[in-house]
Amino acid sequence: MIAPHDTQQPARPAPQTVTPAADARPAAAIRIARLAKTYPVPLARVKQFFRRKTDGPTEALRDVSFDVREGEVFGLIGPNGAGKTTLTKIVATLVQPSSGTVAVHGLDSVRDEERVRAQVGLASAEERTFYWRLTVVENLLFFARLHGLTDAAARTRINELLELFELTPLARKRFGTLSTGNKQRMTVARALLNRPPVLLLDEPTRSLDPLAAARMRALITQLAATEKVTVLLTSHNLPEIEELCARIAVISRGRIRAVDTPASLRATHKQTERVTLAVRGLTPAGVEQLLASAGEQLQVTAHGDAHVVTFTRVADDDRLDRAVRALQRAGAQILSCDVERATLLDVLETFEQEAAGATQAQGGRA
Amino acid sequence: MNRLWRLLRRVRAFVVRDFRLALSYRLQFFFRILEVLLFVTTFFFISKIFAAGAVKEFTQWQNPLAAWITGLAVMSYFMTGFSSLANSIRQEQAQGTLEGVLMTPVSVQTFVLASSAYDFVQVTFTSSLYLFFGWLFFGVRFQGNYALALLFLMLTTLVLASIGILSASFAMVFKRGDPFGLLLGITSTLFSGVLFPPQLIRQYAGPGVASISRALPATYGLDGIRRVLLEGQTFGQVREPLLTLLVFLAVLMPFSLWVFARAVRRAKHEGSLIQY
Repeated sequence: MIAPHDTQQPARPAPQTVTPAADARPAAAIRIARLAKTYPVPLARVKQFFRRKTDGPTEALRDVSFDVREGEVFGLIGPNGAGKTTLTKIVATLVQPSSGTVAVHGLDSVRDEERVRAQVGLASAEERTFYWRLTVVENLLFFARLHGLTDAAARTRINELLELFELTPLARKRFGTLSTGNKQRMTVARALLNRPPVLLLDEPTRSLDPLAAARMRALITQLAATEKVTVLLTSHNLPEIEELCARIAVISRGRIRAVDTPASLRATHKQTERVTLAVRGLTPAGVEQLLASAGEQLQVTAHGDAHVVTFTRVADDDRLDRAVRALQRAGAQILSCDVERATLLDVLETFEQEAAGATQAQGGRA
Repeated sequence: MNRLWRLLRRVRAFVVRDFRLALSYRLQFFFRILEVLLFVTTFFFISKIFAAGAVKEFTQWQNPLAAWITGLAVMSYFMTGFSSLANSIRQEQAQGTLEGVLMTPVSVQTFVLASSAYDFVQVTFTSSLYLFFGWLFFGVRFQGNYALALLFLMLTTLVLASIGILSASFAMVFKRGDPFGLLLGITSTLFSGVLFPPQLIRQYAGPGVASISRALPATYGLDGIRRVLLEGQTFGQVREPLLTLLVFLAVLMPFSLWVFARAVRRAKHEGSLIQY
């Protein structure tokens, strides 16, 4: 697991501090190094002159470092105001960092911003970024031309994308008349106009119906797998993040708390899991006696002619195996088995509590 | 050459976009034509009040209708150069479309230039209408070197566009229209001789107030264009206003580009580039 630069973190299994300069891996698609962003108070001197009260500068990001590998779907999760949007906008060159660097395929997001923008497609959840009185095609044609596509190439690409996002029947409709879901598809279609090697997706399925959302997820997976598109995905939809992302960065209060695979994050943060077995053919007392040593917090409840047995175990230990064998030996019929593992929500909550604790401790020391 | 070609293609993209947007307001387009025709007609009848002829001293105003429609046509051109750049930024910020545009490999400078291009196309059309209606319906005749008049028009527009870039810088940082720019626009209309000879200001308000006219680039632009188109003056005769405009341009253009670059940097630093 990578837990970059957080000295406030409590002890956790093997956190590995990473300084990207020392990272010897091949060039990453996105390399973020010691990034910090503090939004200054706009017109601070003028406000000071007029003695107007201000809240002071806002620290949005602090010492953020991680790499996103080529062809990887990388998730960025965190509560509102954690710094996700600022980070995405810095990668997209829309905001300048206060310090640190962002490199997209080796290009610096400040010095080479135009070339970086040619490499990056941003699909934000903001639908106002289109011209509502222009049609679907006119909108896409305009942005394709800005990307430098010839009219012929632009039209071919637009037709492909309309087909891909099932927008062909709406091609001549004004953007403003589209449903919210279709507007969202348009933001992703626009981001793909110039076939960028890096995609920044902000809540790409937020307004889509379940079927369309599933198709969008399949598309994202396909883009990464077959076209080696690198995806930086920001979302509050944690199951979606878990389904799509090879690795996840947890961001809280402007700092990266961890970067790891979803499974490792879960395992690190909650090492126990709740097992639920539905059993038929034994009495509750018999079940309790058999499974007394199966795990902690054993509970047996009647459920019709069956019994539901729940217990807590350490993830991946042999207690479930022993419990199943014992039940079967006693002649019980096992109807179902569920294992409730820690979720990303648990992970997020834990990090947020830790961050809050660290902030309070700092406040106390101050 | 390649860069220029790329720039022109992008400018074309913006012009096509704005033309499409304008087409979605068809009635407005026809009302604008009608408005120009009504303006010219109104000024034709006002000019009849002065049928006895203008004071001989005001050589450009012997035919007041010709002076007015030239003034209005040219002034609307100048005002576009002056206000279009800031307006384009404000409009895109307000609509929320700036993010979409700035996610393409287009620099902010190119964006500002290109997004105001359609305004110039449009104002070229409406300015021409002033002159065309005057010629077609009211017997206004123009003379002189049209290329020289065009040079004046371009130079003055560039000078005013420099001030427009300053105004756009203001809009980018402060997220509102430039009040100084608005003041300058109104002042130019009053003091540059759009509707009456600026010499009258000297006669009635004294040389102090009249000196305001001399500080405004539009005064030289309008004077030069009228001297060429209405009096038929040659290059040698209009050298003075031409040189004055060149000095304005040499000072204002680099300064405004420097200020604009700083404004863009500041907006990106504050994270407010795409904010309304």
